[in-house]
This record gives sequence, C-alpha cells and structure tokens, in this order.
Amino acid sequence: MKHGVSRTGLRITTILVSMVVGVVTVILCCCILLFLNRYRSAMVQSALTSSSQAVSQVSNTVGNYLQGMDQAMSLVEWSILESADNRDQLLSAFLTFRPDVVAVTGYSPSGKMLDCWCLDHEPREVIYQNLSFDLNRARTSGGSYMTAPHVESIFESYYPWVVTMTIPLESGNQTAWVSLDLSFSSISTYINNVSIGQRGYCFLMDKEGNIVYHPQQQLLYAGLKSEDTSSLAALEDGAYADDTVIYSLTSVAGSDWRVVGVSYVDELVNRSLSEMIRLSLVLGAALLAAAVLTSVLLSRLLARPLRGLADAMERFETDADHFTYLPVGGTREVQELSSSFEHMVLRIQRLMTTVREEEVNLRKTELKALQAQINPHFLYNTLDSIAWMCEQGRNTDAVKMIHALARLFRISISKGHELIPIAKEIEHAESYLQIQKYRYKNQFTYHFDVDPACLNYYCNKITLQPIIENAINHGLDLLVDEGCITVQVRQDGDDIVFDVRDNGVGMSDELIQSILKHGPKDRTGIGIRNVNDRLQIYFGKQYGLHITSEPDVGTCVELRMPKIQEGDYESK
Amino acid sequence: MNRNRWGAVWTALLCLLLSGCTASTNYAQQHTVALVVKSTQTEFWLSVFAGAEAAATEYNLTLNIIGPETEEDYEAQNQMVADAVSAGAQAIVFSAIDYENNAAAIDAAAKEGAKIVAIDSNVASEAVSTYIGTDNYAAGQMAAKAALERMQAPLKVGIVNYDISSANGQERERGALDIFAESGRAEIISVINTLADAYHAKRDTAALLTAHPEINVLLAFNEPTSVGAAQAVDEMGLSERVFLVGFDSNVATVDGLQEGSVDALVVQNPYAMGYLGVESAYKLLTGQAGGMERVVDTSTQIVDRNNLFEVDSQKVLFAFDSR
Repeated sequence: MKHGVSRTGLRITTILVSMVVGVVTVILCCCILLFLNRYRSAMVQSALTSSSQAVSQVSNTVGNYLQGMDQAMSLVEWSILESADNRDQLLSAFLTFRPDVVAVTGYSPSGKMLDCWCLDHEPREVIYQNLSFDLNRARTSGGSYMTAPHVESIFESYYPWVVTMTIPLESGNQTAWVSLDLSFSSISTYINNVSIGQRGYCFLMDKEGNIVYHPQQQLLYAGLKSEDTSSLAALEDGAYADDTVIYSLTSVAGSDWRVVGVSYVDELVNRSLSEMIRLSLVLGAALLAAAVLTSVLLSRLLARPLRGLADAMERFETDADHFTYLPVGGTREVQELSSSFEHMVLRIQRLMTTVREEEVNLRKTELKALQAQINPHFLYNTLDSIAWMCEQGRNTDAVKMIHALARLFRISISKGHELIPIAKEIEHAESYLQIQKYRYKNQFTYHFDVDPACLNYYCNKITLQPIIENAINHGLDLLVDEGCITVQVRQDGDDIVFDVRDNGVGMSDELIQSILKHGPKDRTGIGIRNVNDRLQIYFGKQYGLHITSEPDVGTCVELRMPKIQEGDYESK
Repeated sequence: MNRNRWGAVWTALLCLLLSGCTASTNYAQQHTVALVVKSTQTEFWLSVFAGAEAAATEYNLTLNIIGPETEEDYEAQNQMVADAVSAGAQAIVFSAIDYENNAAAIDAAAKEGAKIVAIDSNVASEAVSTYIGTDNYAAGQMAAKAALERMQAPLKVGIVNYDISSANGQERERGALDIFAESGRAEIISVINTLADAYHAKRDTAALLTAHPEINVLLAFNEPTSVGAAQAVDEMGLSERVFLVGFDSNVATVDGLQEGSVDALVVQNPYAMGYLGVESAYKLLTGQAGGMERVVDTSTQIVDRNNLFEVDSQKVLFAFDSR
C-alpha cells in the first residue's frame, strides 16, 4: 500500500459484499430446502399414484385373463360331458386354440386320473407323483381352486412350470374333477412388460404369499433374489412407501391372486430429486454470483469515490500548500461530501496564506520596532565621546562624529523603508565604523571592497552593522594587536554576497550556534540572528548568514541575498 | 488486482456452468463381457447362460457367450479367450477345461487389462478376481454320503469321471474318495475318465459295469457323464442293483430318477453361477469390487426320489421358462 500506516476496520466493499452474500445464501438455502422438501413429498405422492395405477391395470388384465379361463373351463366342462370321440376332438381343438393350456386332466371321485389331453405329450404309464391334482384339497375346497406354481410331472422328459385350475364337475359323472394346467405364457408377456419407473416391476402372488408369477422367477428359484412375500401378504390393498421401495398391492377380482407392484423410490423420486437439487444448486449459485457481482458493483460505486476522497485528504495532509483538489464523482452523498471537502480545502488554504502573511507582517513590525530602538549605551558613549572631543577642542573630529551619527540615524530610519540601496547600506556601515574607530581610539582599521555594479541593487537595511558590531565585540575587543575589518560586496550569479572579515580571536562553534539561534543575551538592539531571520523571511531559506571562524585567525560572516531592483519587494 | 478479481469471478461462473453440463453427460458406455465356457450343449450350461443373460440385461452389458465343441478342448478355449480380448471384451467370465493349461491364456488376457472371473471350474491363475461355483470337494462328499446313507450293503464303488485335468471333477472325486475311505465299508473298484458327452460316458460305463459286475454304486461327476451312466444302467437292466449318484439336472436324469436308473442327483446352481459371474464382472468393471470375496460358493442340493417333487427340489431341478 502507498501509506505505511496499517488500518484496522473493514472496507465498505468487504462489508457490503459479505452482507449481501450472507443474506442471499441464507435465503437461498431456506428456499431450496423448502422447495426440495415440497418437491420430494409431491414426487413420492405421484410415484405412489402411478405405481397403484400400473398395478390396478395389471390386476384388471389378470382378472380378464382369469375370467377368460373360467369361460374356457366351462367350455371344457361342457366338452367332457360329450361322447368320447366328440370330447377328444373338442378338447384338442381347444388346446390348439389355447396354447397356454398345457394339459387337461380328468379325475375320478377317488382321485384317479382318468383322462389326459395334451397336444404333443403322452402321460407316463406310471406317474410317480402328480402335482396337478391333490385329492384332499379338491375335496376340502368345495369349489374351483388354483394351485401355486409347480412343475408338470405327468409327462416324460417334459417338465414345464404351470399353475393348475381345478373345478369339480356335477356329481353323478364318471369324471369328478377337471384340472387345467396353465403355462405362464399369456401372463408373462404381459407382466414382463409392465415397468414402473426404470427398474420397477410387478409380480403375482396368492393370498398366502406364494409367488405365482414373477418376471425374475428363475432368479428367485436360484436363490439370488427374494421377495418378502409373507409380510406383503399381511398388507391390505394399497400403496406403501418406505425409504427405498414403493410396494403397491391390488387383489385380482374373482380370485385369490394379488398383484404386487415394486418400484424404487431412488429412481422415481430421488433421481428427479437429485436432478432438482442440481438444478436448484446451479440456479442458486448463479443467483449468488449475480448477487456478488451486483454488490461488488454497488460497493465500487460507493467505495471508489470515497477512496478517492480519502486519498485526496491524505495528499492534502502531507502537502497542504501545493494541493489542488479535483472533485470526485459518485453518488449524491459522495458528491456533497466532495464539494464540502473542496470548500474546506479552499478555506484552509486561504487561512494558511493569511496566517503566513500575518506572521510575516508581525515579524516585520517586530523588526521595525527593534530597528527603531537605538542602543542607548552606544548613543551615550558616542555622545560622551563627542562631548569629550569638544572639551578638548577637537572640533573637527567632533563635527565628523556628529555627522557620522546623523548619517547613521538617517539611514537607519530611511523613511521607514526596509529595503535600501546597497550604497546607502555601505554608507551606514562606514558611519558606524567611523564612530567606533573614534571610540576605540584607532585600535583597528577597516576597509571596503565593493563591486560598483552592486551598488544600485537593494538590500535590507541595517544588515552589515550588527555583523560589524559582533566583529568588534567578539573579535577585536580582546585583540592586543591592531585589528582589521574588511567588508567585501560581490556578485555571485543572481546573488549578491557580503563578506565581513576580521582578524580577531575567532569564535567557538558553540558561540556561533548560540548567536545564530538565540541572539546574544547580553545585548539589546538588532542581533545577528535578526539579520538572518529577516533575510530568510524576505528571500527564503536558501539565503541568509553563514559564519566561518578559526581561532586566532579570524571570523568571516558571509551574507547572501538575491539581486533586488528597486520596488521588487516593496509590496511585502 | 482488478483484472485478477474479474478473472476469478468469470472462472467461478464458468466452472459452475461446466459442472452443470458434465454431470449430466456422464452416462456410462456399455461394457463388454465374454463368457467362455466348457460346452454350449448341456442343460447345465444353458442354465448358466440364462443366468448370465439375466445379469447382462439387468446391468446393461454386452454379453458374448462362447464355448468349444467338446469339453476337453482347452486349446480352443485359450484361442477363444485371446479372440475375445482382441475383440474388445473388458472382462472374461471363464470356466476352465484345464486347470493348468488354461492359465497362460488367462494371464495373457489379464495383462491386456481384462478382468477375470472364474465360474464352475477354476484356473491356476493369479489374475482370477473371484471364483464362483460349487464347493466341489463338498459336492463330492455329498455324493458319497448320499450313497452311504441309502445303502446298507458294503459298497463296491465305480466312479465315472470326466477329463482328468479339469479341476472341479478331480475335487469332487477327491471329496467322494475321502468320505468312502472314512466310512470303512466302501471299496473303490474302479475310476474311469471318459469324455464329457453322453455317448462316450454311456459306452465307457457299460464297459466298466461289464468288467466289474460287482459294482453296486456308481458316481458320475457331471451332467453328460450322469446321463451316459444312467442310460448304461437302464439299458443293462441294473436299475435295481446299481445305486447311481449323478450330478446336475437333465431331463434324462430326472426321468431316470423317477424310473429308478438314477437314485440321487447332486444339483448345483448353474443359473446363479452365470448370474453372479456376470454380476461380478460388472462390479469389477465399474470399480465396485471392494469387499468382493475370492471364492463364492453357490448352493448345492441333493435330490432323490423322495424329495424329487418338493417345492425346493422343483426349483433347483427345473429351469423356469415362461414361454
């Protein structure tokens, strides 16, 4: 990040996105769950309905088949009562006409097999066991009955699976019972083709739970599959669903057979349910994605201008002076914020300018007040010197002194202007040196080295005098030998440089620092620091004083200021 | 940073769409399974085929059933295995004629990536994922016990077995011999190995009975030898004297059971072998082989004249044919 400061707290984007995503997720989950729950129960209901419909159709068909069989039976009954020749003819015609009838057998009242009609097979001479007829059952049942599936056992090398339908004939006949052995061909083609869902199927059982026909009968016989028929037999007609299987039971009209439909919840319900789950998940994900997208867009719409505003504030913080504000767009609230900030920036910048100007003005007034102050000691001493000269009759000297003093004051005041021509400043410095030289009884000499081209430029008034004063006080006062002060004025590119050198005792670094920072404490009047301050206030930090000093060699104070023509800085 | 974020959003959307599409298009293509057996003639094998076809229908498999002309031609079987693999069979359900000599072909097929399921008679290969069939040793024991239980007199036993290199025939024989040896009242008169068809079995059994007239117990260890032995016994008029224990269900032997030439049948469950064999192949191909047992014992039942027409016996003896 641009700024080193790490911020706690969340961005508006994060908050908005997570909030929207959270809310949408919760709502979606609730909706999907509710929907799926409803959907599942509806699916189960429809699976039950379709299962029982399929089963009742099968039941009708099987019922019709059995009804047909009853009719066939009465035909057989009627045939048997005919004469032997007729009977054989009729029954073989019947067997050709009904290929699903394997055999017709007639039994005497004692259960002995009297006749057997079958198209292609002859019964054994010795029948080991006849599964098609059971005397006990025939006697107890009273009417017609059907057996469970069994193998036809009266033929040689022919063992088809059949069910047997037995009816008693009117008493007084030789034949007491007739049995029809029915193969499964007609039922099987129908039942095998019944499908409930993809894997669901139907089977037939009797009311004890013996399976009469099952599409996968051989699987059952081989022990690879089983149906829980005993518990199914206990159920009433109707549809029953458990977790995996739907059972649907219907009785076949006019018999004790029942049709059982088996279908799988998994494929009828769960498959479409899982399809639905997938669909709703995809939909949900799409919705979620849309929500995320919208919230991201929305938050960008909000956050980007806000971030722009924040960045602008940050830039404003680091550099208020050179900051120009470019208004950010966005929502109305942000625009309002932005324009408020713009107003604030302008206001603050204006305030800052005002403060700076006031500060400069204050400094100027302060300086002016200081300049107006004349070191009274200097004045007393000078006046004392003049008086003493007059007493001694050194009138010429006294006049010179008085002139110098007058020039000093005149230039000091300069009609209140701060900037004066350099020539005047040199004159001011010379007057001061003249006076001091009298006072110090020619203990030092001075020398001016001025580039005449500089003379017409302007400079701050009373800049040389404090430096010369410092040179005399700190450099020459303590010097035993004759001191020398050189004032040099030169051009340096666009600047003008004043050098004030002395050959005095020099100053320590601490002294230089304290002079530049605080100004000499023992003194009143304008110090070196003031000169430095003034130059910097007027011209900037790159201008001002530079002191180099070497003990016992001397001090050099360099003063640097720009070239100023008349009127350049008067406005300040 | 911005572009990355958009990239991520689009990628996520794309992934969602794709997952929605791929899930629905992922329906399995049909697997191909070859059922290579010993014979395509006997009722035993027809029942195996019925079971196999039932499983193939249930699991939506392409099933090719192939078997050699005779039950001794292991080389033809080897060739069939190789052909089936090159024709694209992904699994072989195999019944070995020769325990040892079929192994190389099976190993080669497994190397090609085919899954191997053995049914009825096993093969000496590590590639066999599971063996589904009768516990042949126990079946042999069962046959011997049937004879011992129903005969009071000392037993003079003749054994009519088929190809000596077939694993299951030898196992059955071993089981029977162990039980006879244990009983102490049985004497093994002769063991013959005949070809597995009724004609040769009948001829060799007749020869055996002629050579050893003292034989009063005959054991025949598969369907064709049982049929042949029954015919020999019937024709020689020895139905009363010779106690014949046969294997498997055939119209002829069931007739014989009623007429007396056959006295007991050890009935295997060929339908289950076929069904479970193909089912196992399907499981192996679809990666549901977890927890599959190395050996699956299909049930075996003994049927004699007394229980011939009991419901359970009917179920194992007579194939249900809805036509």
